Amino acid sequence: MWDRSLELFGSVDIEVDPAERGSRRLIVPSACGRYELLPVKSMDVPVYVEAGVADAGIVGMDVVRERSADVLHPLDLGFGACALVVAAPAGTAYPYLPTGETARVATKYVEIARDFFARAGVQVDLMRISGSVEIAPLLGLSHWIVDLVETGRTLRENGLVVLDEVMHTSARWIVNRASHKLRLDEHQALIGSLSRAVELRETVT
Amino acid sequence: MSISRISHVPPGSQDLLADAVRRRRRIQRTWFELAERSGYAEVIPPTFEYEEVFTLGAGADLSRRLLRFVDRDGRVVALRADFTSSIARLAATKLASHTGALRLSYAGKVYRQAAEGDHRGREVFQLGAELIGEAGVRGDAEIFGLLIETLRSLGLRDFQVNVGDVRFLRPLLDPFEPAERERLHTAIDRKDRALLAELGGSLPNGNGVRAALSGLPDLIGRGPVLERAAGLACGAEAAEAISRLQALDRALPEDLRRHLVYDLGEIRGLDYYTGLQLEVFVAGAGRAVGFGGRYDDLLALYGSDRPAIGFALELDTLAELAGAEPVS
Repeated sequence: MWDRSLELFGSVDIEVDPAERGSRRLIVPSACGRYELLPVKSMDVPVYVEAGVADAGIVGMDVVRERSADVLHPLDLGFGACALVVAAPAGTAYPYLPTGETARVATKYVEIARDFFARAGVQVDLMRISGSVEIAPLLGLSHWIVDLVETGRTLRENGLVVLDEVMHTSARWIVNRASHKLRLDEHQALIGSLSRAVELRETVT
Repeated sequence: MSISRISHVPPGSQDLLADAVRRRRRIQRTWFELAERSGYAEVIPPTFEYEEVFTLGAGADLSRRLLRFVDRDGRVVALRADFTSSIARLAATKLASHTGALRLSYAGKVYRQAAEGDHRGREVFQLGAELIGEAGVRGDAEIFGLLIETLRSLGLRDFQVNVGDVRFLRPLLDPFEPAERERLHTAIDRKDRALLAELGGSLPNGNGVRAALSGLPDLIGRGPVLERAAGLACGAEAAEAISRLQALDRALPEDLRRHLVYDLGEIRGLDYYTGLQLEVFVAGAGRAVGFGGRYDDLLALYGSDRPAIGFALELDTLAELAGAEPVS
């Protein structure tokens, strides 16, 4: 996401010195000196932006929903598109287990999964896992998983199939509410130029 | 049997010491001096009330966040979750025979449930004012004047009051089914251009709502934005909302007007707001530090139909901002 973001910034003349790209600096200045970029973990992006220590950020819609972040998300940037799905080994029962047991679901996206299954009226036990979610049903840790799928290759390689679709996601431009109001002209101008850059790229590809 | 030692307070509550207290006292002193001088008499509503006071007008969102308990007689009581609701009840009952405008001020805590990790806390110290019985734009201007003077007298310079009106937005939600309406509500609240375009795109070409939805994210700015908004207003109520905002804009002197930004895409706020709504932003705070608006139908729920407008500011955030300023 960092590389795609830098590419997008480049197309609106927010350049980063190539020497800085791979550096381990925690705050990367733009060449024009107007912006400072913070390469942080995706799950943390909404936290920085909601608190207002960052004015805006780029993160997947899945993360915005998972963190229930109270931020504006004016633009869909198009890249990083994938689906959040319910998956399990082929042949697994869904949405009810034949034994009547409550299904165990392993996921990184506990909040989204909780909301999804509650709306569907399906009782589940959610287990928070932070990586290699696909292994959970293979080891008997869970019956199903809720995870991101981009091409489906990892699922296939592990003998898993998609049982249901939870949401589509892609990278969003998110903005702090107070910053948007207090620095309105700067934000609206930036949203405008990012929006044109995204449209241009979509018509080219 | 052992008594466990209590070493901390529940999440979302806090102890305040020395300087933190002094800052809050100073803000309250400034506030009440200004309020008294402006004719706003202090009231202290009870710390707990029958829960209906907070559920009838304010809506589902606040209702879910009440801290409730069952009283001796079996009735459900809630800790004060909103001053405006309490004061509306008070004004519509004990002060019902009062003729002419009522000007009331307050400072104290409201209690609301909050999820873990929610920075808002479960006890929020607020101060604010309510102007009851003044329906016209004069009342709006008076409340904006008091609000802005309050912020200035606290030494704040870089702040902004955002103003919208629910009557402009309501007709935009009307053409949609309930499920779609929920999505549209989110799209408006998050200024999600893609989703606004998608939902608006499901309406026929040339439909007024479709045009208004696609223009909505840009209906934010100073006075001239209201002219564009007038061109996109759907129906008489929305048009009336815009002309009322224009009247307010004209009624305010320039040194107040420069703190106002019109944001017609602002959809948040408690259910009882009937017209203009405001949010206060101060440089240095990542979220709104104040809220308010017109609630012309709220008092009628308690038996006395009177128009009203008011605002509340969050004292904890103001104290933090004041603490960041050099001590004079």
